[in-house]
Amino acid sequence: MPYIIAAACIDVTDKSCIEECPVDCIYEGARKLYINPVECIDCGACEPACPVEAISQDRRVAAGQQEFVADNAQFFTVPLPGRDGPLGSAGGAGATGAIGVDTQLVAQWEKA
Amino acid sequence: MSRVDCDLIIVGAGPAGLYGAYYAGFRGLSTALVDSLPEPGGQVTAMYPEKPIYDIAGFPAIQGRHLVARLVEQASQFNPAYLLGDPARGLTRRGDGRLEMTTASGTVLTGGAVLISGGIGTFTPRPLPAGSEWLGRGLSYFVPSLDAHAGQDVIVVGGGDSACDWALSLEPVAGSVALVHRRAAFRAHEHTVSRLRSSTVEIVTGAEVTAVHGADRVSGVEITANGTTTARPAQAVIAALGFTANLGPIRDWGIALTGNRFISVDTTMATSVPGVYAAGDITDYPGKVRLISVGFGEAATAVNNAAVLMRPDEQLFPGHSSDSVPAVA
Repeated sequence: MPYIIAAACIDVTDKSCIEECPVDCIYEGARKLYINPVECIDCGACEPACPVEAISQDRRVAAGQQEFVADNAQFFTVPLPGRDGPLGSAGGAGATGAIGVDTQLVAQWEKA
Repeated sequence: MSRVDCDLIIVGAGPAGLYGAYYAGFRGLSTALVDSLPEPGGQVTAMYPEKPIYDIAGFPAIQGRHLVARLVEQASQFNPAYLLGDPARGLTRRGDGRLEMTTASGTVLTGGAVLISGGIGTFTPRPLPAGSEWLGRGLSYFVPSLDAHAGQDVIVVGGGDSACDWALSLEPVAGSVALVHRRAAFRAHEHTVSRLRSSTVEIVTGAEVTAVHGADRVSGVEITANGTTTARPAQAVIAALGFTANLGPIRDWGIALTGNRFISVDTTMATSVPGVYAAGDITDYPGKVRLISVGFGEAATAVNNAAVLMRPDEQLFPGHSSDSVPAVA
């Protein structure tokens, strides 16, 4: 049921959404931000804050952006480059600080 | 240090906790509700008091704040004690088997059982980036008393319901009120915003408080908009920038968690600690659905099971509420 961040965030990372999130569940990669689907409470505060409209509910994703639903989750469930284990539910992005790396999809993404 | 002794300590005065207080009262249990927020209602009050909710049984649509008001009224016939704006801190078991809870203010509660309806955890006001060190010396995150601001030049920061409501209610009391908001659009109810626009409250949008000045107490602020900084006098700064929530101290109570985020419960809503139950968004089990309607059911299950734990001679089934003489018309 969470919100997800799609391609428009890549290389923008405005971070206005991070200021709005009441549960601190938006984590910072290198090129993009990611919402932790386990920690997100589906409140929607982040969506209007995004200047590039990259954020939507996972059940109302814009056409062509479907792969970002799984990709947001994989940021937390699959070990990221340089890490032994997955990030999991880290208990808040403030606690981890910027993660600084991306999923494979985002790292290799070429902006149109 | 104050003490509160009751049958059931309820941690979290959101929908599930308030309904749990009703059910506990219906079963003849005395209750105390503890919450980090200064008002009851949990996430509904803190995040969407104006939103209509469409999936509460029996209510085709009900505004968040009205749902909370009715839950408070429903519980009030049994006079639960409220400890609001006072986050729970510690939970331990005493030698005599009773559970003991401490709060941030130093209050000690004891109960035969505990119901954790803590939703997403402890709410903490977002600090004012430009001057959180002024807290208590002119900077505040809530307005417990309008009179405390009589005659003052007040700066309210934020664009949500709390910021707009406080700016409006301070207008007739304060010397002057300015509402400073980072964006052009307000998130508050339209009616509130239109009342603000026709009031004497000075609305400064696209702006931020970038500095707070003073000696012992706040005496002025700097407001920056479009790269231009203006200094103005202020004896009070009220930052209503919303909240962040975190499970916080609940993680240290020795209760089994799921994913470091939720409390694992069985079909009786019992946690891994005897006498400690959970209900609402904070619980987890296979098939869990995080909705207010589900939280109500879990609260009833938790309270009735807790009642039997404390009073083994009683039945689990509480009887029908329609069997008793209604306390309210």
